[in-house]
Amino acid sequence: MIASLTRDDRDAAVLITTLGVAIGLLMTAVGWGDPLAVHGVIVMVFCGGLLFLVARNLNAPLPGNDRLASYYDDPTRVGVLLALTWAVVGMVMGVWVASLLAWPDLRFDAAWSSFGRLRPVHTSGVIFGFGGNALIATSFHIMQRTSRARLPGQIAPWFVLLGFNLFCIIAASGYLMGVTQSKEYAEPEWYADIWLVVVWVAYFTLYIRTLARRNEPHIYVANWYYLAFILVMAVLHIVDNLAVPVSFSGVKSYSAFAGVQDAMIQWWYGHNAVAFFLTSGFLGMLYYFLPKRAERPIYSYRLSILSFWGITFFYIWVGSHHLLYTALPQWVQTLGVTFSVMLLVPSWASAGNALMTLNGAWHKVRDDATLRFMMVAAVFYGLSTFEGSFLALPPVNSLSHYTDWTIGHVHSGAMGWVALISFGSIYALTPVLWRREAMYSAKAVEWHFWLALSGTVIYVFAMWNSGLTQGLMWRTYAEGGTLRYSFLDSLVAMHGYYIARAFGGLLFLIGAMIALWNVVMTILRVPVLVPALDYPTESEAFEPAVPAE
Amino acid sequence: MTILVVLIPVALGLGLIGLAAFFWTLHSGQYEDLAGDAERILFDDDTPLIPARKTTLLPSPGGDMPATIAEDRTPS
Amino acid sequence: MRADVCVDERGAGSIRFSVANLRCGGCVATVEHALRARTDVAAARVNLTLRQLVITLPRPDTDLDPIIGSMAALGFPVTPVASVGASGMAADGAQEASVSKGLIRALAVAGFGAANIMALSVGSWAGAEGITRTTFHWLSAAIAVPVVLYSGRPFFLSAWSALRGGRVNMDVPIALAVGLTLLLSLFEMLSGGAHVFFDAAVTLLFFLLAGRTLDHLMRDRARSAVTGLARLAPRGAHVCQPDGGLVWTPIDRVEPGAVVAIGPGERIPVDCCIIDGMTDLDRALVTGESVFVPARPGDSLEAGTLNLTGAIAARVLRPASESFLAQIIAMQGEAETTRGHYVRIADRAARLYAPFVHIAALLTFVGWLVATDGDWRRALFVAISVLIITCPCALGLAVPVAHVVAAGKLLRMGVLMKDGSALERLADIDGAVFDKTGTLTTGAPMIAAGPIAPADSAGAMALAMASNHPAARAIARYLDCKPGMIADAIEVPGDGIEACVDGKRARLGRAGWVGEITTVPAAMDGPVFGFAGGPAVQFELSETLRQGAHAAVATLRAGGLAIAILSGDAAPRVGRVATTLGVREAVANAKPADKIAWLEQRRGDGRRVLMVGDGLNDAPALAAAHVSMAPASASDAGRTAADFILLREGLDGVPEAWLTARATARVVRQNFIAAFAYNIVTIPLAVAGMVTPLMAALAMSASSIIVVANALRLNGGARPGASGA
Repeated sequence: MIASLTRDDRDAAVLITTLGVAIGLLMTAVGWGDPLAVHGVIVMVFCGGLLFLVARNLNAPLPGNDRLASYYDDPTRVGVLLALTWAVVGMVMGVWVASLLAWPDLRFDAAWSSFGRLRPVHTSGVIFGFGGNALIATSFHIMQRTSRARLPGQIAPWFVLLGFNLFCIIAASGYLMGVTQSKEYAEPEWYADIWLVVVWVAYFTLYIRTLARRNEPHIYVANWYYLAFILVMAVLHIVDNLAVPVSFSGVKSYSAFAGVQDAMIQWWYGHNAVAFFLTSGFLGMLYYFLPKRAERPIYSYRLSILSFWGITFFYIWVGSHHLLYTALPQWVQTLGVTFSVMLLVPSWASAGNALMTLNGAWHKVRDDATLRFMMVAAVFYGLSTFEGSFLALPPVNSLSHYTDWTIGHVHSGAMGWVALISFGSIYALTPVLWRREAMYSAKAVEWHFWLALSGTVIYVFAMWNSGLTQGLMWRTYAEGGTLRYSFLDSLVAMHGYYIARAFGGLLFLIGAMIALWNVVMTILRVPVLVPALDYPTESEAFEPAVPAE
Repeated sequence: MTILVVLIPVALGLGLIGLAAFFWTLHSGQYEDLAGDAERILFDDDTPLIPARKTTLLPSPGGDMPATIAEDRTPS
Repeated sequence: MRADVCVDERGAGSIRFSVANLRCGGCVATVEHALRARTDVAAARVNLTLRQLVITLPRPDTDLDPIIGSMAALGFPVTPVASVGASGMAADGAQEASVSKGLIRALAVAGFGAANIMALSVGSWAGAEGITRTTFHWLSAAIAVPVVLYSGRPFFLSAWSALRGGRVNMDVPIALAVGLTLLLSLFEMLSGGAHVFFDAAVTLLFFLLAGRTLDHLMRDRARSAVTGLARLAPRGAHVCQPDGGLVWTPIDRVEPGAVVAIGPGERIPVDCCIIDGMTDLDRALVTGESVFVPARPGDSLEAGTLNLTGAIAARVLRPASESFLAQIIAMQGEAETTRGHYVRIADRAARLYAPFVHIAALLTFVGWLVATDGDWRRALFVAISVLIITCPCALGLAVPVAHVVAAGKLLRMGVLMKDGSALERLADIDGAVFDKTGTLTTGAPMIAAGPIAPADSAGAMALAMASNHPAARAIARYLDCKPGMIADAIEVPGDGIEACVDGKRARLGRAGWVGEITTVPAAMDGPVFGFAGGPAVQFELSETLRQGAHAAVATLRAGGLAIAILSGDAAPRVGRVATTLGVREAVANAKPADKIAWLEQRRGDGRRVLMVGDGLNDAPALAAAHVSMAPASASDAGRTAADFILLREGLDGVPEAWLTARATARVVRQNFIAAFAYNIVTIPLAVAGMVTPLMAALAMSASSIIVVANALRLNGGARPGASGA
């Protein structure tokens, strides 16, 4: 991989990693005695390792210019492997925390292994580690292919990918040490947040630069979804994480907002993270890989563009539905509810569009587990967006809120939609990236599909049941007007469901492990296909893109 | 709800960016051939244009950026 | 063709072609790859929606012929499309396209404004108070005022020009409602009132703009599809130079007196007179006659006639601007004005509706003013509610939506519709009249009866196979037997073909010419075959009915329409087709003026007739009829004149379009009934002051959604899959 870097690239890599080591050293020195120092060491090791890799090959033969006639896929390949690794890590943590709820002894009495510290490792691991890496990797692939142009440079993509993973590592290791600002999906402290802003700006610039040098006049709709994901996440991240560090030598900071204002900001961020991280970007994935794999164009391209503009607008005001029946002013709650209901229209338009694309190719869905991953993902997308709008209705919410129903809803979206579309895309992408004819084992893909589907269904059904039971038990009154059940009663009633949940999660985890094994075996064992037909068009100077006017 | 002082301008700003982007797409003819554009992603596995043709690769002076490929025909 | 090349400021040329058989992404890839591999093409891009191809040339004077030839060899014959600005029609198209873009921009701005103001006003209505509400009002105003000024322009301008002309159109109540709502809201806001209605004003604009934009886009699509169809008329001619060379000259620069060379298979570019060579002519597209006319030196030819067999040289009689074609176009222009001013259903409704709305609002205002002892703010408030709730959304949105859905469905059936008014007119026809040649029949001849003796059959087969004449091909298809041995074949353009078959001289062709070596009975008029010295046998020519002709006529008749045939062809042939199809009324030998007269007479009787025709001679009649259709193979003039174009081979599109038009008319009627019913319920409430402008806006949105959903029902029953366009 170093071999494809030019002299300038290698110099830049050395410079950046050296700078990273220096920053790590600084953090260690300044934050001695604080978790900040541990993170300093992690930064040093991470950047030092990269520096070593580059330096060792510094004088390796330089690449020829013929590399410019092909797409730059090295970062995409590493991104796919990182995504699957994070999937396994995040899901192991998920199974662990699920088991903790059923069998609390699994904590082994250590501070770092308490539920409150392990859970964010699970959520960040799957959302940012797995989802984020999958998004970055597929976006590198899609932006090059749909633009028919090579990435503009070789350092920027590595900076984005590795920088993002450094953020994930700092986040996960921080949680185990108790470093958190206690904001859902935004737990990392101020220094990690600043680093993510740097990485994200580089990501956005990289995307725009690639689009700017495109040889295909039309910008495919998937790119718009990815761009919305990058741009809006940047704004959300910055606003939600506005905080004042207690000191620059420690990890602790205080949010710039307080009380209900902070809650509003947090859920404005929280739900838009669902919208623009877990929906917009993955819809981009769906709109590229589903037509590609089914070998037929999207059913209504016009509709995909319209629902893009619909989703981008409606999502922005939905967040307050997380705070129904709280100190939030009533009218703000109503606003959130109204927009949550309206959101259903563009969401179902996308899900329907995906399924209609497959209409007429059902035999492919039957035969091809990869395509089936995408089909089921679209179905779960439709189901969980409906469930979301439904749960936002105040009467429903009064029953469902703070119960496991919410957890079930999140996981039907996260497992059924986000994870399945990512796995489907990775299976479609891997043979193309490594120039292999097909995956190592089609049977393993099939196994993964059924494991993932049954895991999701078991999980979601367990949570629906436990959530409804909880909600009903909490609102049942005895004749004297007192509550009929104590909280402990409801907890005991959950035990069976929690075991079922851990089991469903385990099935899903096994599936992810199979996926990682299958991808690795594809790289190692499947013979290379003679480089096939996958090149960018020549530079625009010689192949003028005809403006479509 | 003083927090709206932050949230509303942010939302409006994002909306205006979206509107500007939409105007740009309309102006640059992004919607001229939706039927064809939906199909085009399906054949991005081009026949190897570059190896098939007589092309010579120029050294790229400014590092990586100019993927310049010269060949025996008049550039326009 | 050279004239179609646009040269940009960098000196590169570009040319736009229409490619009729582009069907899918695969074709796009094939075409683009083939072209990119060429060194005389700088860039090529296909537009699948318009079925067009834009080629960028390295130099403006690059030779186009090899490119066009290679495309044809690939199976994609291309024809140049007039470049923008080169012809009036294309310029119109560009202007229309920019109007549509303006509307889309206005729609996007209104959508942005409506969505944001709606978010703010949901907050206000859900209970935001005090400083928060005031801030929201100011913010809403800051968004609404520029949005209304920008997005409302189409309505304000149209209303203003109507009022200046002393008329009232649909846009007057719209402009009033939007403008007054905005002004009153501003006033309320400035005076610290609790309720402002920026949301109502902007939402109203959004919905109305949506309807208007849809209407425009539909027409744009139809227009570009029509210009994209292959052109049949020649756009230039090979003019003979004094030194014997030939020079390709654009048609408007061919002077009378010049000599032009016309090869077999080409169309006659200008009216001219043969000075050298003999040939057969196919005049079907010009006169409607389906016989092949022999022509020899001295005969005059009309522009548009197809030269079949021989190469000829001809002297130009008239400049192109005065040709037969030009006269037809002039006649067509006159016929169009006699069609009368058809008033679209929405405008008819608006004429009744607008005054009613204004009077109702005014009376409400006055009534409330009196009842509340001069509380003009309250009175104005109620009057505006009345204006908003009665706003002609159903007229502005429901009709175009139904038409857009119907147009999409028709396109899937292979029928291209030019605008919504055509659909309305088609729905209320009470009769249909068909041209014969090229419309009911394919124009290609067929043999009805021929010789019985095997020797004659083998001989005729041998001769027929040696010729490319359409009649000879028909004979070969009809006989389908083993041909005799043939030698020394000579084709005499205008007469027929002669050769030695199995050692005997034989001729196949015109009766008089074959009679020179055989005995031909006087009654024979079709192609005749005979061995030298023997008796001749006759082939009886008939015509091939277009696929679906029977079904089309039967369906229309079953629907209670009076069917007639109106043809320029001779009576016996017209009669035969009429009998086959069971049509009682058939007019033969009709000239363009006769056809118009026939249609005028029907119009005078209060009948509304659909005309289906293809030829140049039909063009004026197509324009004169209540509504008209033409097959895609029709002449340019015919396609321009027709309201609908049948993109598929058969005539199935005629009854399908008619049924769709009727279904659409039904849906539009239902929409009107729904809208009026809703008004009957809501107007009294509004007059009584029980509706706030926001409720009015929401009710109006709901009624809009209902009519849109109703229109979408039209999609049901459309044949899925194959797109015919």
